[in-house]
Amino acid sequence: MKKTLCLLMIICLVFSLVGCSSNTAADESTITVAAAASLKNCLDDILIPMFQEKYPNIKIKTTYDSSGKLQTQIEEGADVDVFMSAAMKQMNALDEKGLIAEDSIVQLLENKIVLIVSTNNTKDLSKFEDVLKADTIAIGDPESVPAGQYAKEALTNLGIWEEISRKASLGTNVTEVLNWVAEGSADAGIVYSTDAASTEKVKVVAEAPEGSVSKVIYPVGIVKTSKNQDLAKKFIDFLQSDEAKEIFESFGFATN
Amino acid sequence: MSLIVDIKKKMKGFSLEIAFKTDGEYIGILGASGSGKSMTLKCIAGVETPDEGQIVLNGKVLFDSEKRINLKPQDRNIGFLFQNYALFPHMTVEENIGIALKLSKEERKQKVDEMIRAFHLQGLENKYPNQISGGQQQRVALARCIIYKPDLLMLDEPFSALDSHLKDQLQNEVLDLLKLYDGEVLMVSHSRDEIYRFCEKVVIIDKGKTVLYGDTKQIFKQPKLYTAAIITGCKNISRCEVLSPHSVYVVDWGIILETEKEIPQNIKYIGVHAHEFQMLDKALAKDEKNVIKCRINRIVEGVSEFTVHLENEKTENKNGIADILYKVNKDQWNNREEKESLYLRIPDDAILMLE
Amino acid sequence: MQISPIIISMKTASAAIVLTFMLGIFVARWVVEMKSERAKMVLDGIFTLPLVLPPTVMGFLLLIVLGVNRPVGKFLLQFLGIKIVFSWTATVIAAVVISFPLMYRSARSAFEQVDPNLIMAAKTLGLSDNRIFWTITMPLALPGVAGGGILAFARGLGEFGATAMIAGNIANETRTLPLAIYSEVAAGNMQTASSYVIIVLLISFIVVALTNYFSMKERKYLK
Repeated sequence: MKKTLCLLMIICLVFSLVGCSSNTAADESTITVAAAASLKNCLDDILIPMFQEKYPNIKIKTTYDSSGKLQTQIEEGADVDVFMSAAMKQMNALDEKGLIAEDSIVQLLENKIVLIVSTNNTKDLSKFEDVLKADTIAIGDPESVPAGQYAKEALTNLGIWEEISRKASLGTNVTEVLNWVAEGSADAGIVYSTDAASTEKVKVVAEAPEGSVSKVIYPVGIVKTSKNQDLAKKFIDFLQSDEAKEIFESFGFATN
Repeated sequence: MSLIVDIKKKMKGFSLEIAFKTDGEYIGILGASGSGKSMTLKCIAGVETPDEGQIVLNGKVLFDSEKRINLKPQDRNIGFLFQNYALFPHMTVEENIGIALKLSKEERKQKVDEMIRAFHLQGLENKYPNQISGGQQQRVALARCIIYKPDLLMLDEPFSALDSHLKDQLQNEVLDLLKLYDGEVLMVSHSRDEIYRFCEKVVIIDKGKTVLYGDTKQIFKQPKLYTAAIITGCKNISRCEVLSPHSVYVVDWGIILETEKEIPQNIKYIGVHAHEFQMLDKALAKDEKNVIKCRINRIVEGVSEFTVHLENEKTENKNGIADILYKVNKDQWNNREEKESLYLRIPDDAILMLE
Repeated sequence: MQISPIIISMKTASAAIVLTFMLGIFVARWVVEMKSERAKMVLDGIFTLPLVLPPTVMGFLLLIVLGVNRPVGKFLLQFLGIKIVFSWTATVIAAVVISFPLMYRSARSAFEQVDPNLIMAAKTLGLSDNRIFWTITMPLALPGVAGGGILAFARGLGEFGATAMIAGNIANETRTLPLAIYSEVAAGNMQTASSYVIIVLLISFIVVALTNYFSMKERKYLK
């Protein structure tokens, strides 16, 4: 009985090792894309299926989270081929550490910072500055969420950051902020225009005034340690194609 | 002072059907473990509910399934001495005894002090139950249930938790202390000795059913029923065939008994208490009737008596039938005249005719 | 490190334990004294549920009840002007709901371990059911009940998933220690996060020590 068990375990071990190596063979046609949470809907729902149709031999694995978390993961050696962040900050940080392939960074999209309220909202808010009228406000944590950084920037330039930060509920990712507003728990919130477009439960009150906030650039780049740089490039090229641009715009992005 | 109990309750494996009445005497419930004795007490106390029947105490209806009366235990004014005493471990002796009293602080203290004196518990007032002996615990428990003068006092196997060498002394003490209590006493036990000693009336139960009830001494002497005979401790019981109004063939022992008393037709068993046989010497044995010539199979020595396991010499092929037991005082046995053979006579009034 | 999350957490956990303690004992007593075995089983399942469900699921369920776009929350807001979500009260509610099963189960187990003969004796001695509960059952069950209370306190202190959902993460109002820790880690401020974590470890350790002390405490009247 013990002998059979040992034999069985050895066989399993061998298979898993063999399995691993055959994975690397498959790795050659799989790329991992790490993208900011705000890109989830348009990538998963439309763009990636579109890409798969065009290139059936290339498999795409995705992971979505806040750009800051993804940056940390890549720094810690996560197996990622393509990185799409929601701000230049994280991309630049990785680039300075030499973790991004030379000249692979493309400033792909632009997102707008908007003030949103729940569709059932009764308060009368019409300008971006009206955020002061809200009792409870949701924004991303400026220390870890890019959308939060932008919110802080815009509010600071409007001179109301101190006041807002005192009653703000800080979300650890922008989806959390969106949900808080969608449920009406927070009277108002500041998110990306793409977030606002993703649900019918919120409506946009106003965009952050021109000049109050730096442009929200969504760069895409190839991670230097990627073993599939060609495939990664194929994917990035696809994202810049006309058909891809159309899709991005339908989701609320502005394309360069 | 009276208690009427007539209840039925379905239980695991058997159904409880108990019926008896008392009239102010101490009454005992005798039966094997698991025969439903404790459940009967719990039904009377009200912590369990019978399926049907009635329980009436001193004219007050405690339970009546037809009239849908079922008084809460709190309203039945009954005292219940539990087998393990159920003293509240986090309360002192004083607090335990006085807990049922609804009186002012001073009045309660007075009554509790009275009880403490009467029950010889002085010096133990502030002790906790785990700091006093088993006998003291029992007295505290008894004091606790008597102090509020309940209409009925129930004792559940009151002596089974005690060391046997203390039992005798404690039984006497309890008997004395019970004199302080005025009402009905109902005692449950599996011990024949206890019931015989304490209770004027007895209810014999077997597998949940009342088998017999009546005067204790009488029932023990003449159990009348097979199951009653067994429960009251008759060790020698045999199947029988009634031959005539005054003679009966005792099947398992292979002898014919001739009786003075008339034998009812429905008698199925004959029993003889182990102590009742008379030893005879050879000469007398020839002339007397109802004598067995015995083959001794074994003699078991007890502290003060011998138990002689024997059978009728004439019987062969016993086929698993038990020996007859003869219990005899050691001196009597050692000093017997007839040492060659054993002749036992069954006196007429020792013959138990059992249905 | 700021002191505000510590204060908020202590306030929340303290308020929560008072409510959970009373609720847990009340409900446990109710279930223990129930006569129907089937009802007991069903209720026990319901009351234990928050213990086995992920806190985020509990948060979701609470949101369905208290959210301002949901029937009950809407009613409260429109007619009573009360908005529970995103308030400090919500942190307490989350802590109570999450820690309740611990209190309930500890209390129930403690009550059921009291010798039933004692309860029967008390009844025959004429004590009312209420008096029996407060003077016999509770004192004897106290170590188990107190132990349960301490565990519930610790669980309420550590509540995170449901809290974020219904109370939000508002500095000086609803940012409890767990939320603060999570935010600091997300922001990469490991030092600050560590300081908070040490505080939580300290409190948890004291809690465990107290629990052990209570359960092993020698009481004069027990051997």
